[in-house]
Amino acid sequence: MNAKNIIKLCVIGSLGMATLGLPLVFFASPAAAHGERSQEPFLRMRTAQWYDTRWNPQKTAVNDEAMLSGKIHISEDWPRAVVAPKRTFINVGSPSSVFTRLSSKVNGVPMVTSGPLELGGDYEYVIKLRGRLPGHHHIHPMLAVNGAGPIAGPGGWMDISGNYKDFTNPVKLLVGGTIDTETAGLAVGLFWHALWGGLGFAWIGWFMVRPMFLIRARVLAQEGGDALLNDPVDRVVAFGMLAVCFVLIAIGFFVTDSQYPYTIPLQAGEPKIKATHLKSDLTIKVLAADYDVPGRALRMTLSVTNSGEQPLRIGEFTTAGIRFLNKVGVANNLDPTYPPEIMALDGLHIEDESPINPGESREVKLDSRDSLWEVQRLMDLVHDPDQRFGGLVMAWDEAGNRHINSIAGNIIPVFTRAAGG
Amino acid sequence: MALFRTAEIIKASKLPPEGVKLSRMIDAVYFIPIAYLGVFATFHMHFDLLAGDWDFWVDWKDRQFWVTVTPIVEVMYPGAIMYYFWTFYRQPFGATLSITGLLVGKWITIVFAWYWWANFPMNFVMPATMVGSALILDCTLLLTRSWMLTAIFGVWAFAMMFNPTQYAIFGYSHQPLVVDGQLMSLADYMGFTYVRTGTPEYIRIIEVGSLRTFGGHTVWISAFFSAFVSMLVFTIWWQIGHFVGQSFFWVRGKRGVMSRKNDVMVIGSDEYAKRHGTPDGVAPRLPGAPMGAGATLAEGKS
Repeated sequence: MNAKNIIKLCVIGSLGMATLGLPLVFFASPAAAHGERSQEPFLRMRTAQWYDTRWNPQKTAVNDEAMLSGKIHISEDWPRAVVAPKRTFINVGSPSSVFTRLSSKVNGVPMVTSGPLELGGDYEYVIKLRGRLPGHHHIHPMLAVNGAGPIAGPGGWMDISGNYKDFTNPVKLLVGGTIDTETAGLAVGLFWHALWGGLGFAWIGWFMVRPMFLIRARVLAQEGGDALLNDPVDRVVAFGMLAVCFVLIAIGFFVTDSQYPYTIPLQAGEPKIKATHLKSDLTIKVLAADYDVPGRALRMTLSVTNSGEQPLRIGEFTTAGIRFLNKVGVANNLDPTYPPEIMALDGLHIEDESPINPGESREVKLDSRDSLWEVQRLMDLVHDPDQRFGGLVMAWDEAGNRHINSIAGNIIPVFTRAAGG
Repeated sequence: MALFRTAEIIKASKLPPEGVKLSRMIDAVYFIPIAYLGVFATFHMHFDLLAGDWDFWVDWKDRQFWVTVTPIVEVMYPGAIMYYFWTFYRQPFGATLSITGLLVGKWITIVFAWYWWANFPMNFVMPATMVGSALILDCTLLLTRSWMLTAIFGVWAFAMMFNPTQYAIFGYSHQPLVVDGQLMSLADYMGFTYVRTGTPEYIRIIEVGSLRTFGGHTVWISAFFSAFVSMLVFTIWWQIGHFVGQSFFWVRGKRGVMSRKNDVMVIGSDEYAKRHGTPDGVAPRLPGAPMGAGATLAEGKS
């Protein structure tokens, strides 16, 4: 390669680097989400069905406690392409550990480690957090399923004010005393790393002060070179170094052992969490459903039977953490702190808005229509390998009692207005 | 009396003073920017791909897999690097160079990636150190001058010393505590309290398997197992070092026959001419051959 070519490559490389640097100059908005929209709709709609998610409070300070809570319904119509939730972990989707997690309970059972969830089961989770890193953070509840990966719940914004330097995370030890997880063992660890690193570099340096390569190679190639290179002083130093290593290892081990007489191995037990189940006086069967691509609407025809004693009105359809409400839903279940970007307050339309009376069976045409289908990339459903949808239908009686049904069914895309009618 | 045999060695090298000076410049350029940085960059990547999570997180450092996997992976590069430095230069620092190189890479990652970028506290992502084990391995090679004995005794000690060395650093993390009525070690709690969105708890492999079935002495059984596998792995990587570290020339001899010469350091020297009967390794031009056809280093390979 001649100099001209090298210069050419350097110029091309520099231009490439400059191109990569352009976004930093002109557009460098922070990454504020976790790619939840990139997850396939069938995965988001028919695995973990999130509802009643709350970020409380939405403004905290460093060291203050906050709560991430809500409910998950594990869809009965869990996709075949996704590994069943036999080993799962309720997690928090956050940009690094902006909060520390103090406690995590699912149906009242601590979920420090992973455990199985039941298809069709309903679970209430409460995650206690402590503000750690100041900022404006997008926080999701998240269900990680072994073999399937993380399934993100709805994301909401939480603000932490203050200064990270003030953060402490004290925890009480069983044998007495309190320890701060931010600094525990740090000084000792740094000391040992520095000590061993120093010894290692000293050992290399011992050979670096003398000719290292070319001269030794030439000598070694000669007869008797091996013996000449076997310097007696190196052997003495090697014996000494061996002794130092073994003594240091023994000191480190026994001193630590005496310092911490009560220790336990890492724990990896499995929590056994009993599922609850959705309660509803309605029985809902999906008769037909289509997805109106140009109209950005999921249109469902449902067979609904009210076997209760109160008339019920449908007010909400929730899927993939996105809520489609009508007047009934707004009146009964409007959480003003729920992120508006994943909620359509006029997104649910029913052909016949009269209540479903006790004992009545009716065919209900339910239409969840909003640009959120596109913004939240649920319209990509038409590209999924499993053309079914799922979600939660919520209805209320006059007293405000909620009835929730998990529904699922086949879905047919309607690509043009002419075809859709 | 001089501390080292340096003067004798330089004399035996038969290099003129300017050659000795140049060789030291080569030492400086080759060792730090090329050999050391090359080893730390590649070994770091190699190690993180094979045993990264065990080293990243304090709540992965269990008595079984961490103790088993880490020495096996950490002895690979030293095997090949030790071959190279020992066979060609009789330099007994291959293992220490590899492991300190790995740790330089590790600490760069800890400070810039884990602490500065991802905001995890350093104690949570503190790596293990096997510099002590590496020193034992290098000293064994220097003292026995045999890769076989080094594989048997040095590598055995390399793996067996892993757990006691780390206990001084991570012993604190096994103190028990109770959260929500559940017993856990401080390491478990740190793994729980520092949220890792992409690393759910079940990814950990905590004492899965039957290595524990010997009176509950999981850690020592794992260490023994690791030591035996490490011996095998060291031997394989020593041979990998042999395979990729070959250096020889094909030389045309007096009768025009090509032969392989392994003593590359003396080609072109008086020593070579004396040994092979060709002045400076240059064979006499064959009758009828074009000018230059009888040159010595007909084909170079390394």
